[in-house]
Order: sequence, then structure tokens, then C-alpha cells
Amino acid sequence: MNMTASANDAPLMQIRNLDKSFGGVKAVDDVSMDLRAGIVTTLVGPNGAGKTTFFNLITGNLTRDGGQVTWLGRDTAGMKPYRIARAGVGRTYQDLRLFDGMTVWENVLNATEHGAFPVPISRAHRIARRERIERVLERTCLADKRNTRAIDLAYAERKFLSMARIMATEAKLWLLDEPASGLDPNSYERFLAILREDVAEGVTVCIIEHNLDIVIGISDRIAFLDRGRLLADGDPHTVMNDPELAKIYFGDRE
Amino acid sequence: MLAIQLAITGLQTGALYALTAVGFSLIFGSTRIFHFAHGATFVIAAYFFYGVFGAGLGLLPSIAAAGLGAVAFGVLLDRLVYAPIQRHEGSFFTVFVASFGVGIVVQNLIGMVFGRGFVTVNTPLSRSVEMIPGVYVSPLAWIAILCTAIFLGALQFFLRRTHTGMALRALADNPELVRTFGLNPRMIAATAFAVGSVLVVPAAIITSATTGLNPAIGHHVMLISLAATIVGGIGSVSGTMLAGLLLGLAESLALLVVDSQWTEAVTFAILFAFIIIRPAGLLGRATAH
Amino acid sequence: MEAYIFNLVNLIAIYAILAVTLNFIMGYAGIYSLAHAVFFGLGAYTSAWVAQNVHPSILLTIPAAMMAAAALSLLLALPALRVRGEYFVAASLGLQVLAVTIFSEWKSFTGGIGGVLAIPPANVFGIEVFKPAHFAILSVVALVIVMALINALVHSSFGRNLRAIHDSESAAASFGKNVPMIKTISVVISAALAAVAGALYASYLSFINVESFTLDASVLVMAMVIIGGTGTVAGPIVGAALLMLLPSLISWFDFLPQTEIGALQQIIYGLGMTLLMIFRPGGIVGRRAKA
Repeated sequence: MNMTASANDAPLMQIRNLDKSFGGVKAVDDVSMDLRAGIVTTLVGPNGAGKTTFFNLITGNLTRDGGQVTWLGRDTAGMKPYRIARAGVGRTYQDLRLFDGMTVWENVLNATEHGAFPVPISRAHRIARRERIERVLERTCLADKRNTRAIDLAYAERKFLSMARIMATEAKLWLLDEPASGLDPNSYERFLAILREDVAEGVTVCIIEHNLDIVIGISDRIAFLDRGRLLADGDPHTVMNDPELAKIYFGDRE
Repeated sequence: MLAIQLAITGLQTGALYALTAVGFSLIFGSTRIFHFAHGATFVIAAYFFYGVFGAGLGLLPSIAAAGLGAVAFGVLLDRLVYAPIQRHEGSFFTVFVASFGVGIVVQNLIGMVFGRGFVTVNTPLSRSVEMIPGVYVSPLAWIAILCTAIFLGALQFFLRRTHTGMALRALADNPELVRTFGLNPRMIAATAFAVGSVLVVPAAIITSATTGLNPAIGHHVMLISLAATIVGGIGSVSGTMLAGLLLGLAESLALLVVDSQWTEAVTFAILFAFIIIRPAGLLGRATAH
Repeated sequence: MEAYIFNLVNLIAIYAILAVTLNFIMGYAGIYSLAHAVFFGLGAYTSAWVAQNVHPSILLTIPAAMMAAAALSLLLALPALRVRGEYFVAASLGLQVLAVTIFSEWKSFTGGIGGVLAIPPANVFGIEVFKPAHFAILSVVALVIVMALINALVHSSFGRNLRAIHDSESAAASFGKNVPMIKTISVVISAALAAVAGALYASYLSFINVESFTLDASVLVMAMVIIGGTGTVAGPIVGAALLMLLPSLISWFDFLPQTEIGALQQIIYGLGMTLLMIFRPGGIVGRRAKA
């Protein structure tokens, strides 16, 4: 899993001139961006800026109108969401989309099972998988709740289950859609700690977030979207101290 | 000659299919309620007409009874069944099953009251007249086509020119939008049910005087409505209209090659072909997940 | 009396197999099929044909029935499940209507409206089973096997995938699930197992015709699942037993018009479906919806 400072500097994901409109309104407008290994990129911008649409486009949940996305050097045009997911792009949803009828354990276990057929797996593999899930549940403090159905969890636990599912996968890139929104300060510290550990282990993260502490605290880089356009893309302090952007960003919140 | 004859019959059938299917498509498109009991609305309208007309009360009261029956059924169903379900969850499945159950009840109640056999309303208008040598057309065919044109024209006016109509179309695209405009979604849903149910009334009445009725006809109506909605493109009223016409014409023209018991197979073949080749339908937008 | 009870046991077991297999796709995968009676019928006709023309051993009739139903369901599911759920409802309704026409017209295979007569009794390892009491062993064992199979599937990774899809298709896809493929396989499994019920039905009654495989039959099975409790283990069995006992129950009440038993039965379960959806969507066995 550990990624040494990569020999070749090719980005994991390369996004060029991405376009998408809904009924004449441009939701994503000519956005280009590189996502590089081990770098945490935060997408900020007012509501309706096209951040979630941007995620939906690169995961294949929406088809793009124009532009190109390459993942590990391969064009993803026409790839179904499940293929992009198997290729190593994981995501969470703002509305979580947990498997509500299943237990915490089943939710996490299922995230690791790709195949359509129930293929028998080796004992060693099964033990390794169980340990992996145990560890994920420990880290997200869900170990005690393993037999609770997702629908019966408290809000913060649901947020952590959403994280636990993606942590159990082998995704190289995590697209996190407001993973910390609504968390109390404690949970929120725990969330940051988890994220830092995984980033240290080599996961590349792209995160949509409104909370400025997170934005400053963990980002290596900030991309500012407004009305579908990428207005700024750079190191956190430069972007967040830009008075023009602050006006757009905070203007929206009043 | 036979081809012309069948084309005219097909146009008549297609016109009625278009009316019925547009009713379903409008309700489904604007409220996302899978109104499987739309077939039952048709059955109610048709049998109310048949009952009142058969009792010798005259044409206008019979039409009024059919219209009132259909609208009351549609609106009450929305209020008493769909609204409570949607208040607690309203998944596709729950609404579909509830609607389906209502359809079964209506079919059997009508069957108990009016009998399960085929019935037809006899009017002088159903008698065919030789138009050109070898081609017989009943005045009802023209009435069917005229009625369809009037009703669908009025619908287009309603959807494009009136405030409520535009809200109905907006509801299909974006439910949030309607709330921000300060409109009451439940009120709009009631309107969708009223309008959607009214549209089946002429089709039900004319069908009762042409091909005839039985209580199970609701399933056929549903198959046509679903097929036309999908073939036309979900959410596209004009698409459903076109598809209804197309299905009617195809069913009728198919008689050139196959026996009449295979007409529903033609509907199925067209539906299936669209699902395979063009799932977005004639005028539909590509569906995204 | 004894024959009457065993007859009921057989019919309940056969319909319970249908309900359990329909529940597999409805309750776990969220696929609503109005064509379950088609696979029931195809299984019955296929096994009748094999029994009459090849050999009545259940080792031949049941696999043949299953394969025929699996093949047909694949043709339906492969295209229809690529798109939204409503498409499958429409396509299955279309298939059901079309199948009734084919069952009534394809005289060499189905005997047309008249049906297939004199189907040999089931032959289990050389023993002919025709008494209702003996057949009850066969039908109940078949039900238990089908239930065990489905239960094992539901608790395998395949079943988890189905339940995941049921809860959120988009999230399932985000975790690498080939959603249309998994759904298609579930429909094929369900149809193949429904054909087992068909094979049993044909050999048990020794006479079949299209009347048993109409849309009404599909609806009846769907009602069994829903009233019993969608997505539960016991629900479909409870639903099947309840709805099969309903006609006898109605005939018990003298004040009800006995010529309308069929219609009354349908009104009762139609009303039952609607009321349950309003007040208790989980069905009789299912847990109450969360407030």
C-alpha cells in the first residue's frame, strides 16, 4: 500500500475541460484539474457550485457533455460507475446511501465484495479480510455496533459507517462528499485523525467540505468552484485569503 | 383497400390509446406516482357510462357520470391512498402495490355488479358507413379522432399557458423548484390526478361503443399506457401521445400479417424493441442514475 | 377429509414455492415482476412434455423445466434490467399478456385452450407418486429445498449484493457492483426455481391448461408475498397458506354469495394489499416501518 515518492510524476487522475449542463444551465464548465498521489485536494465553493456534479462526472454516475478524464493513464469515457469503482476510485455520498437494511458488519463486508457470483474464497483470504474489517471498525469506533442495522445508528455513527465502507476497499482515490458536516467537535477530531492516517498510508483524497477548519487543517491544495467554473486552484492560504473568492464564498452564506 | 381500412381503424385505436396513455404519463411524470390503478379509472369511466346510458338516462348524463366517476376516483385515490403512503415513505414499491390492490378491487366489484362478460353500448353512431368502395368507417372513428385532438390540444394549452400547468411540468423536472415558487405540491398532485383521469373518459366512452368492455380491460389499458410512456420517453407528454398513436396503428396494421389474437404481441414487441435499442424513448432525455 | 387436507397441503406447498421465489427478487433485489406465472406455466408445460415424450422421472422433468424458464427469463431480464425498475414492471406485464396468447395458441406444446391431459404422475427414483398424501412429502420436501437454497443465497455475498442494491443502487455501484448483472442473475434463479413449482403442479394434477398461468395467477402470487411480508423468510409461506385457505373460508360463510368466491377472494386480497401498504408496508410477518 505504501507509496514511495512516486518515480513518475504522472497524476493519478487527469481531468481536462470537463463540461456538463442541465437544461441549458452549465453545472460544470470547462474544469481541468490533476489529482496527484498522496495529495489532499479540497473542493470549496458556494452551494450549487457544481461540486457534487463534478464527483458524479468523474465516477461515471453522470455522463459528461465534453472533456476528458483519465485514470491511471486510461480514458474513462463510457466506463460504467462500477468499472471506475473497481479500477480504484471510491466515493462517499453527501446523503450517505448506506445499506440501511444491513448490519454495520455487512455494510463494510459488502464494500469489499465485487463479484456477481458467490465465489468461494480461501481461508487465508477470509481471515485477512476479517482482520481488515475489524481494524476499520476499531478505527471508526463502530466495533461495538457491528450487529446493529445501519438504519438504527445515530447520525455521527452513520457518517463514520460511510467512511468505514470506503476504508475497507482498496480504492486509491477517495472522493468524499461532505464527510464531516454536522459532526460534533469530538467526532470531528476523530474523523481528521482517520483521514490523516489513511493519507499517510498513501490514499489520495479529494474532499468537498464547507468547514474551513478542515479545509485549512488537512488540505494540501484547494480548488474553488463557483457556478461550475474553477476560479482558483492552489495552496490553501493563497486561495482562502483571496478577497474576491471570500466575497463569493461568504456572500452566499448570509 | 384493406390497408386503408386498417390504417383508419388504427388511427382511431391509436387516438384513444394516446389519450389514455397521456393521462398516465402526466400523472407519473409530474408526481412520480406509479399509478397502476389508471386502468381502473378507465374501467370506472366506461362502466359508469355503460350503466347510466343503459338505464336510458340519455347521453349527457352518462358522459357526466363517467367524467365525475373517473375524476373522483383519481383524486380520492391520491388523497386517501397515495398521500398517506408518501407521508411515511412512499417508495416506488409501496405505491405500486397499493395502486395495484385498488385495481384488483375495482375490477372485481365492477365484475360483480355488471358481470364479467363482454358488453357493448349500441348507438347508431357505431354503424359503419362505406366511405370509398371497400372502406367502412363508423362515425365514431371520426369522433374518436376529433375528441383526441380537442383534449390533447386543450392539455397542451393547459401545460404551456396556465400557471398550474407550468407548475405541473416543473414538478416533473424538479420538485424543489415548485416549493420555492410557493406552490403546494399536494395541490398540484391533485390537479395532475384530476387532469390525468379526465383524459381517459372520452377513450373509455368511445371504447364502450366500439370494441366493447370487460372488467379486466384495465390490465390492457395499463399495458398500453406503460408501453406508450416508455416508448414515448418517460416525462414527455408529446412522446407518449406519438407512441400511443404508433401503437394503435401498429396493432391494426399488423392484422395484415397476423391474426387478431396477436395484437398485444405487437405492443410487446415494440415495447421490447425500444427497451433494447432506445430505452430513453422517442422524445425522452437519456436517463442518468 | 384426509385427501382434502393433503390436497390443500400440496397446493399450498406449490404456491409457497412460487411465493418464496418471487419474494427472492421482490424482497431482496427490489424487482417487481408481473410474469411469475409465465415461468410457473413454462415449467409445467415443459415438464409435462418431457414426462409424456421422454420419461416422467423428476430427475428429468424438473431440470428441463428449470432450464426452459431460466432461458426465457434471461431474454426478459437482460435488456429490461439495464434501465429503471419501471421498465421491468412494464416488460414483465407485456410478457405475461403475450405468454397467455402463446399458451393458448401453441397447440403442439400446450394443447391450446384445452390444455395438456393425462400427464404421467411424478416418478421419484422409479416410484410413481400419485396419492395426495404421498405427493405431499414430495411437494413439502421441494419447498424446504427451495427455501434452504434461497436462504443460503441471501446470506452469501450474492445475497448481500442484492440487499445492497435494494437499499441503494448507486452506492452499490460505487463499491464495484455490476448492478444489472446481479439483478439479471437473481431473476434467472427466481424463474428457474418457480419452474420447479410448475413441474410439481403438472405431475400432481395430471392436467394443466392456460387458466392457471394467467395474469391473475401472477397477481395472486404477488399478493401472497406482499400480504405475508416482503423480504422475510416466513412471510411468503404465511401469505401462500392464507390466500389458498381463503376460498374455503369464504365458502364457510353462508351469507356471502357463493357464486362469487373468486371475485370475493380477489377483492379481499386487493383490499389487503392496499391497506397493508398504508398501515403496515412490511406485511403480516414484517417488522413495522420505522416512524
